[in-house]
Amino acid sequence: MTAVITAPITIPYARFSENSAHWFAARALGEMLEAAHLDKASIDGLCFSSFTLAPDTAVALTQHLGLSLRWLDHIPMGGAAGIVALRRAVRAVEAGDAHVVACVGADTNSPEAFGATLGNFSRFTQDAVWPYGAGGPNASFALLTSYYMREYGARREDFGKLCVSQRENALSFPPALMRKPLTLDQYLNARPIADPIHLFDCVMPCAGAEGFLVMSAQRARDLGLKAVRVLSTCERHNAFPGDPIQMRGGWLLDRDELFARAGVRHEQIDLLQTYDDYPVISVLQMEDLGFCGKGEGPQFIRDHTFTNDGSFPHNTSGGQLSCGQAGAAGGFLGMTDAVRQLTGAALGKPVADAKLALVSGFGMINYDRGLCCGATILATS
Amino acid sequence: MERPFLQPHSRAALRMTEAAAAGRFELQQCRKCGAVQYPPRDACHQCLSVELEWSVQSGAGRMISETTLFHSHLAQFKDQLPLRIGLVKLQCGPVALAHVEKSVPVAPADVEVRMRLQEGYAVLVAR
Repeated sequence: MTAVITAPITIPYARFSENSAHWFAARALGEMLEAAHLDKASIDGLCFSSFTLAPDTAVALTQHLGLSLRWLDHIPMGGAAGIVALRRAVRAVEAGDAHVVACVGADTNSPEAFGATLGNFSRFTQDAVWPYGAGGPNASFALLTSYYMREYGARREDFGKLCVSQRENALSFPPALMRKPLTLDQYLNARPIADPIHLFDCVMPCAGAEGFLVMSAQRARDLGLKAVRVLSTCERHNAFPGDPIQMRGGWLLDRDELFARAGVRHEQIDLLQTYDDYPVISVLQMEDLGFCGKGEGPQFIRDHTFTNDGSFPHNTSGGQLSCGQAGAAGGFLGMTDAVRQLTGAALGKPVADAKLALVSGFGMINYDRGLCCGATILATS
Repeated sequence: MERPFLQPHSRAALRMTEAAAAGRFELQQCRKCGAVQYPPRDACHQCLSVELEWSVQSGAGRMISETTLFHSHLAQFKDQLPLRIGLVKLQCGPVALAHVEKSVPVAPADVEVRMRLQEGYAVLVAR
């Protein structure tokens, strides 16, 4: 039995919301069911991720939302959650442990909650990061960006190009919170946040939800749903722990197998979705997934447009940098938009003739580096 | 009552306060395999032994990357901005995030890391 992804849903983001993560999860599930012409009882599996559901977990969510399940998973993997959820759900469906698995990332956001989430993010954060200025991820990624620039000759203009091209993609993507064009001059002249990170290098935290369903290809056909095939997946946690600073991620260890199992080559990939809370991490993903060599990111950026109608379409929704970072849902955005692009259901400008997508995830800066990496190669069915 | 934001939360990290107050640079070391580690843990990250001790270590290291914060999520830091912090690869093994004194040259730079008290709790400072 082959499992497929269907019913990709994006619940429109809000900068701040009085609604809870439960509310956003319910909205996502409701819309997924409607899109798939299914009733709630048809869902027998749930893989859930959130930063703001406390004191609840996915267990409580089953009762809160009246779901009776035979397969349940709660994955605290942030920006890698979409990939890992897919990977778990595909295995569950293919093993017969569940028939229809809903994969959902949902979070709310308020000015107070965001600071609390950051300050209590992990024990190492509490003990060894927060007391050093409470810069949050801005500071963590500033340290990586600064090192990368020095080591590999990247300029601010290189990172800026990624941000500007993503904004162009976002302008045709209705759910994106950033609605205005961004010029390279505006990017370069923005106020500093944590040198060399400036305002437009940083995601804007927001509330929202993303989700998709995983079911057998036969079931999707019977329901008349557009679906995509999952050619391969990988995940890796705490790769390269001996590196003094994170200049490479777990993708590097798994990319050969990822492509080999999918039976495709890099040049066949029609669109790449990276996890993009800061542009430097998109560059590491491009390199470690093998689209260019280590340190070749800056030249790779100069060689491509990254727009949906240009060369090397990247973050087709505008990514989190333009849509906003809806907590753990941010780890699902690349996936839902890749599925829409591959099924001819793009909300924004379509990537012409898209047949293959690579979606990558990255999450959880526990101390000085992100610990979770994952990726998947998806294909039209 | 909610804990103050800047207080270390783990018992292991609180142990640093004593060394900082005495002006010593101490880190956790595994009694079994000798690995030195930071941030403080409850087991050895190398061999999983739970026989850990605190031992005086050299604070010598190289600041491999740095940033200057112009924004903080905590009100307590707002009057200290811009605030310089850096990642230091210590010669004794671990990588430490530290406050960085003005006199330290731009990264990469050789530094000496010390412990001092900040609001009653130990923090690392590179100089």
